Amino acid sequence: MSEKVGVYICHCGTNIAGVVDVEAVAKWAGKELENVVISRDYKFMCSSLGQEMIEGDITKEGLTRVVVAACSPHLHEKTFRRACANAGLNPYLCQMASIREQVSWVVEDKEAATEKAKAMIAAAVNRVQLHEELEPTVVPVNPNTIVVGAGIAGIQASLELADAGHVVYLVEREPSIGGHMAQFDKTFPTLDCAACILTPKMSDVGAHPNINLLSYSEVEEISGYVGNFTARIKKKTRYVNEEACTGCGICIEKCPKRVLDDVFEAGLGMRKAIYRPFPQAVPNIPVIDRENCIYYKTGKCKACQLFCPTEAIAFEQEDTYIDINVGNVILATGFDLFDCKTIPQYGYGRLANVFTSLEFERMCNATGPTEGKIVLRDGVTEPKSVVIVHCVGSRDQRFNPYCSSICCMAALKFGHLVMERTDAEVYSCYIDMRTPSKGYEEFYNRLLEEGMHFIRGKVAEVTDAPRFPGEESKLIVQVEDTLIGKQRRIPVDMVVLMAALQPRYDARDVGLKFGISCSMEGWFTERHPKLDPVATMTEGIFIAGVAQGPKDIPAAVGQGAAAAARVQGMITAGEVLIEPIVATIHEEKCSGCRICNTLCPFNAIEFLEDKEVSYINAALCKGCGTCVAACPAQAITGAHYSNEQIFAEIEGILFDVTSGGDLKALRAEQERVPA
Amino acid sequence: MAKPSFSDEIANLLYAAHGNPIKTCIQCGTCSGTCPVADYMDHTPRRIIGMIMANYKDEVLASNTFWYCASCYHCTVRCPAQIDIAELMYALKRYSIWKHVYPEELIGPVFSETFVKTIVRSGRSYEPILAPAYMFSFGVREFLQEAITATGLMLKGRVPILPPRIKRLENFKRMISKVIPVGEAS
Repeated sequence: MSEKVGVYICHCGTNIAGVVDVEAVAKWAGKELENVVISRDYKFMCSSLGQEMIEGDITKEGLTRVVVAACSPHLHEKTFRRACANAGLNPYLCQMASIREQVSWVVEDKEAATEKAKAMIAAAVNRVQLHEELEPTVVPVNPNTIVVGAGIAGIQASLELADAGHVVYLVEREPSIGGHMAQFDKTFPTLDCAACILTPKMSDVGAHPNINLLSYSEVEEISGYVGNFTARIKKKTRYVNEEACTGCGICIEKCPKRVLDDVFEAGLGMRKAIYRPFPQAVPNIPVIDRENCIYYKTGKCKACQLFCPTEAIAFEQEDTYIDINVGNVILATGFDLFDCKTIPQYGYGRLANVFTSLEFERMCNATGPTEGKIVLRDGVTEPKSVVIVHCVGSRDQRFNPYCSSICCMAALKFGHLVMERTDAEVYSCYIDMRTPSKGYEEFYNRLLEEGMHFIRGKVAEVTDAPRFPGEESKLIVQVEDTLIGKQRRIPVDMVVLMAALQPRYDARDVGLKFGISCSMEGWFTERHPKLDPVATMTEGIFIAGVAQGPKDIPAAVGQGAAAAARVQGMITAGEVLIEPIVATIHEEKCSGCRICNTLCPFNAIEFLEDKEVSYINAALCKGCGTCVAACPAQAITGAHYSNEQIFAEIEGILFDVTSGGDLKALRAEQERVPA
Repeated sequence: MAKPSFSDEIANLLYAAHGNPIKTCIQCGTCSGTCPVADYMDHTPRRIIGMIMANYKDEVLASNTFWYCASCYHCTVRCPAQIDIAELMYALKRYSIWKHVYPEELIGPVFSETFVKTIVRSGRSYEPILAPAYMFSFGVREFLQEAITATGLMLKGRVPILPPRIKRLENFKRMISKVIPVGEAS
C-alpha cells in the first residue's frame, strides 16, 4: 500500500515567500512528487489555523505522512509533531524541510531558491515514506538537583529550589561559597554593600535543611540522562575534621606561616597557611594549604593542632568521594578575570601603582588588606589623581571581542568611592559609556555631577618615563581625547585597569563533562539566546550567571532564579519523555567485537557477557549515530536515521527539479544501470 | 555601475594589500594615542579614518597625516579592531601619488618615489642617492651634520661607496612591475 503524503509549505510572512515562489512549489509538489495527495501553502503554518488545516487533512483525507516545509525543525518540529498526534497520526511520521534557514535566508537568487526548496521538499517526501512509528519512553525525574558553583547565581538557584522543598546539592570548588561577589565592597548603582546583601543569603544556604553544601569539592564525573544523573563528587581534604571544628579560628591565629592570598585577596593581601578566605565564610571551617604548611614541609610545627580546642586538625585526612543521584543540573561556574599582564603597554606587574579592578575592589573593601583605605602600593600614600582604564582585554579582537558589560558601571562606582574617600581627581578613559539598565544612567549622571572627568578614548599606554615638567615620578597615561581631538598625557598617581571577564580556564572541560557546548569565546551556549536563556541543548542541564556570558549581579540572580524555575517545572511534571530516536543492535548480527563500546560518547553501550553481544541502553542513547557508522557488521540501526531513510533523502535532494522528471523514471533508470 | 566612493577606493587598496578594512573602526583613539608623530599631524590617524569613512576626500588628501607616518607600526600592533593603520597610510600615499594630489613643497612624495626608483633600478636602497632627494630642504647646519654622519658611516663600512646590485636584477624588476604599477615609471 502506498503512503498518502500531505505537503505543507509555509510563507513565514515574507521570510520564505519573499524569496521562494511558495505557490509554484506547492503546485509542483502536488503534481510531480510521488504519493503526494495534498499540497498546500499557507501564510503561517505554525499558527493555530495552519495546524488545524494539517489536522483536518489527516482526519478527512486519511493522510499517513506529513511534510512541513517551513523553518528549522529546531523551532517548530514539536509543534507539527503535536498537530499530527492530535489528529491521531504518530508524530514521528512527520518530517520538516528547512526552507527558511537553509533556503530563503541564505539564497539570494529567487529562481535558485525556489529550485532548492523543491529539492529539499522532494527529499523530505522521499524520506518520510520510510518513517516508522516510534513511541517515546517515559522516565521518572529524580527531584534532587545538583548546583555547580556557589557564586550569587548558584546561591540564588539553590535557595529557590530548597525553599520550594526540593533537595539541593550545592558544589563549590573554593573553601567558601560566595564567589566573586563576596570580594566586592559596594554594588552599583545603589551602592549597597555587597557583604550586607550577600552574607544573609550565604548563611541561609549554610543553615538550610534542604541544601547539602559540598564546599571545597568538585564534580569528578557525571553520567546518566535527564531526570536520572549520577554524579561523583570529589571532596578535597581540608585536613580539618568538619564535624569537630567549631570555626573558632584559633588555629588561624596561631599559624606561624603567612602566604600571599592570590585568590580571594587578588594578590593584595596575606593569609595564613591554615585559612578561611574571609571572616564570614560559609562554611566557617578552615582549610590547610598543604603547599605552604610548615608541617608538611619539615614534619614539625603542628601549632594549629596544639591549640585546637576540639582536636579537629587531621593531618592524615584524605580526599573522599561521594556519589549522588540527581534529576537536574544547574551550572553556575562563573568567570575568570583577564590577565592584565597580557597587555604590556599598560604596565601591570611592572609599574607598582597600576592595579586591576579586582585588586581595587579588595582595596575598597572594609575587610580587605587596607581596611577600605585607598592607597598606593606602598600601603600609606593616598593618591592625588587616579585614571580608570576601560576595556582592558574587552572589545579587542586580539583578546576578547565582546563587551564585558559590567566594567563601565564598576568604573563609575570606583570613581565614586575614590572621590568619597580621598581628595583625588578621577579620570575615566572609555571607548563608549554603556549604562543600559535600570538606574544606571542616573548613576552616570551622578558621577558627572560629582566631578569625575570623562575622556573618550582608549588608553594607548601607561608609562613612568616623563617627557614634560610635572610628569616626574608619576604614572603618565597617554590617550587621545577623541571628543576634542587632542593628545593628552595625564600624570597621575594610580591607574586602575578594568579587566575583562573571561570564561573559566576550564570551562571547555566542564562543558565536555556535562555534555554541553561552549561559544567561540568559551561561554556556555544556551538553548535559545532570547527565548530559552538558561536551558542548554542537553536536557536536564541548565546554566546560570556569568558562565553563560558577561552580566552583572541583578542579571546573574535573575538567571539563577530562572534556572531554578525550569528545574522545578521538571520536578513537578515528575516524568520526562525520552526521544525514541535511538540506536538498536540486532543481536544475531552482532559479532561481539566491542568496537562500539568505547566509541559511544554517552557511555550508553554495554557488553552482555552471557550473550557475548553489545547492548544499547535506550535511555542513555542520544541517537548520534557514531556506533551505527562504526559497526563493521552493520548490526546497528539508528531509529529515524536508517540507511534506507538517509539514501531516500539523498535521492530526493538530487532529484532533478528543473526537468520536472518524475522519481519513478529515475528509480527505474538507476535499477537498470548497475546490473 | 556607480563610481566607487572614496572610502570604497581606500578599502579596495587595503584589500589588495591584504589589510583589514577600516569599516570595523570603533574610533577608540588607540592609534592616535600611540602615534609618536601624531603631534605633528594636522589630523590624527583616528580622525583620518573617520574622515575617509565619511568620504571627506579632499580634506584627507590635503592632510599631512600619512606623509608624516613614520611606519613604526605601533598603531597596527595595538589596534583593538586589528586594522592595519600603517598599511592604510601607505594606501593613502599611493593613492595621492597616482592622482597627483599633494602639496608641491612636500618631501614625502619625492622621497617615496626616489626610494622606490632606487630599489627598482638596483634592487637595493642606496643612501647617497636617496638622501639628496630630501636633504636640501634642511638648513645648512643640519645638512653639514648629516654629511658628517654619512662620511663616518661610510668610513666604517656601514654605507657602501658604490651602489650595491643584486643578482638576477631582471627577474626582480619583472616581479616589482607586477606588484607596483608605478614601477613602470622607472
